[in-house]
Amino acid sequence: MTLPSGEALHAGVDLAVIGQSVHGSSADAPVYCTDCHAPRQRYQYPHGANPAPDRASFKAEVAQNCEQCHVAAEQHNPGHLQAAADANVPTCVECHNGHDVAPVAAMQTDPVGTCQRCHQEFDDPRLGDIHAELVANLGAGQSCETCHASTPQSEDAQCQNCHSLLTSQLTLPSGDTVDLHVNPEEIIDSVHGEQMLAGVQYTTLRCTDCHQAQGLRGFPHQTIDAETRRDFTIALQQVCQECHLDIYDRTGDGVHAQHIVEGSLEAATCADCHGNHAIQDPATPRERVSQTCGNCHAEINDQYSASVHGAALLGEDNPDVPVCTDCHGVHDIPDPTTAAFRLSSPQMCGRCHADVDLMQKYNISTDVLDTYVADFHGTTVTLFEHHSPDEASNQAVCYDCHGVHNILPVTDANSSIIKANLLQTCQQCHPDATENFPDSWTSHFKPSLEHNPLVYFVDLFYMIVIPATVGGFLLFIGTDIFRRIREWFGRRRAAKDE
Amino acid sequence: MSNRAQSYPRFNIFQRIEHIVLLVSFSVLAITGLPQMYSLQPWAAFMIDAMGGIETVRVIHRTAAVLLILGTIYHFGALTYRIFVQRVALTMLPGLQDVKDGLQALGHNVGLVKTPPRMGRYNFGEKVEYWAVIWGTVVMVLTGFMLWNPIATTSILPGQFIPAAKAAHGGEALLAVLSIITWHFYNVHVKRFNRSMFTGKISHAEMEEEHALELEAIEQGRTPPEADPTGVQRRQRLFVPFAAVITTILLIGLYIFVTFEQTAITTVPRQEIEAFTRVTPEPGVVQ
Repeated sequence: MTLPSGEALHAGVDLAVIGQSVHGSSADAPVYCTDCHAPRQRYQYPHGANPAPDRASFKAEVAQNCEQCHVAAEQHNPGHLQAAADANVPTCVECHNGHDVAPVAAMQTDPVGTCQRCHQEFDDPRLGDIHAELVANLGAGQSCETCHASTPQSEDAQCQNCHSLLTSQLTLPSGDTVDLHVNPEEIIDSVHGEQMLAGVQYTTLRCTDCHQAQGLRGFPHQTIDAETRRDFTIALQQVCQECHLDIYDRTGDGVHAQHIVEGSLEAATCADCHGNHAIQDPATPRERVSQTCGNCHAEINDQYSASVHGAALLGEDNPDVPVCTDCHGVHDIPDPTTAAFRLSSPQMCGRCHADVDLMQKYNISTDVLDTYVADFHGTTVTLFEHHSPDEASNQAVCYDCHGVHNILPVTDANSSIIKANLLQTCQQCHPDATENFPDSWTSHFKPSLEHNPLVYFVDLFYMIVIPATVGGFLLFIGTDIFRRIREWFGRRRAAKDE
Repeated sequence: MSNRAQSYPRFNIFQRIEHIVLLVSFSVLAITGLPQMYSLQPWAAFMIDAMGGIETVRVIHRTAAVLLILGTIYHFGALTYRIFVQRVALTMLPGLQDVKDGLQALGHNVGLVKTPPRMGRYNFGEKVEYWAVIWGTVVMVLTGFMLWNPIATTSILPGQFIPAAKAAHGGEALLAVLSIITWHFYNVHVKRFNRSMFTGKISHAEMEEEHALELEAIEQGRTPPEADPTGVQRRQRLFVPFAAVITTILLIGLYIFVTFEQTAITTVPRQEIEAFTRVTPEPGVVQ
């Protein structure tokens, strides 16, 4: 028969199909023709004119009757009904078919296919590409409904729906690519996951807490205006200050941020050291610090790892040795090549090496700072720091003799400060120095009979001679004053007597 | 007979200038040296700051040292001239009499001896001071050279001589300054302001108290006779070339003292290392 719309409606029904469907005679609860094609009166023969203007209306009319046995469409699939005004909104039969109504289990073997009967083309071609990739990546138990669930989803879930499935990259104008895959578990397990900190309960950071400024919210996303991936990373670190303002400000004073400002874009950003989604406590375990810095400062890290400090950290998990940040600072890392850094460096070493409690564990002398400062090099450096902290001085600081990152234990034959190598070390600055010259340095020993006895005796000599001489002078002066007072009184008495 | 208002010539103009040079160089050395010795004391750090920083202070100290050494060289020349050409009496030489005078003065001060010592042109107190200056200058110049030229020093002497020289330089400096503040200041400023080193003349009363024997000799006309002018001329002819050679040698020595070595290079060599070397292609990649 022909509907007013001109569409044909086949009157012929293949009974075998109904019989084999879930509604058929083999099912537990067979459905009769007029259960669906209700009201029954309308279908009595001779049939009246079909009131449906078109095929879709006819199907919709029949589908209303599904609710007699099944859950209401509003509950089963509210998403579709939100678009009820749309003439293309599907009814039950669009997905579940009519006479050949499929068992749900059979539908689940190809859930996407069901949806794709209608959803094959998108206005925005990007949506088609993304969907094709998402569908291709769907895992076991996942279907269109994983994302397009019938109940409202949280904002984060909406982000994760796609980004946990995506494996492709976004290509930036420069040709750089950005991975689109995100593992939500990384964020949940990170420091930004739900946790109690200082009595405050923090909820897991939402995707859009960070990914906000770039207009990434909503789909399809706005295009990222970064030219390169590096630009994108640098731009994105701005967001960290919203929660970590004090640290962010200090980082701005640091050498890395300064380099970025000056155009060396490879200098570290927040994410370069801390990571992005999977941020963990940066100092647990402690060796994580040197590993983090070593990502960019590999050559220095190699030296450090072989040094007395690094070997103890990496080999013994020693909690006392310095990691990079103990000397260089953390966020407001100063430029270590400046005069100011050099001049203040002995105090930096002294923080640990003049600490009696710390050093006695290792039987290391804590006189090192005092004896250094008392000597020519140290005195000058200390005075320079006091008077003109930014002025360069050619006086040696700790690391000029001991090494910087490559400080070796004194038991090592390559140590720069053992007797065998000391002359060579002195000659770095004193090229004309000869064999005896290194002994002019007191090797951090306070003068004693054992160490630097000559200095000890000179000190002792003056310790005796100065008080003896000056004491003798004062004694003589005292008696002279005594006599003069006596004579003065004598003259006064004589004057009175006259 | 004695004229109480009369004053007696004591120091000629050259001696007075010499004293001023010593006074200036010694004071500058003390003012720039002691803060270096106690550089970590707040007062010393303040003084060093006020004088323009440690490098400036060292330059001033060394300049004053050169002035002191020049004065010392002059003194040596003038002294040998007076001894060998003018053949003046060696009145500054210490002797047993000075010990006796000292003990007598002490005994007199405490009331054990009735009369004070009667002393000659230079009394025991002045001799102590003069020879202390000589001894001190020798020690300071020698140790100063060692500190100024540690590499040259250690090419001959053991390295430990350098810190020992530093200890001695400081110890001797402290001894010298304290001696000046006590002995010198008391004897010529506090006890009575003795202006003779500036005016060249000494009063009768001072002569009586401090140089009674010399006063007696003057008043009795027992002044040493003027040297025979022809003899002086003859000796001068011998002395001048000899002194010129010695002085030249000493001045060359001073030049060497000042310029002998460059102890250290002006800039500490920096460790060269590539700071930016990545292990992973790009850490912290935004995913």
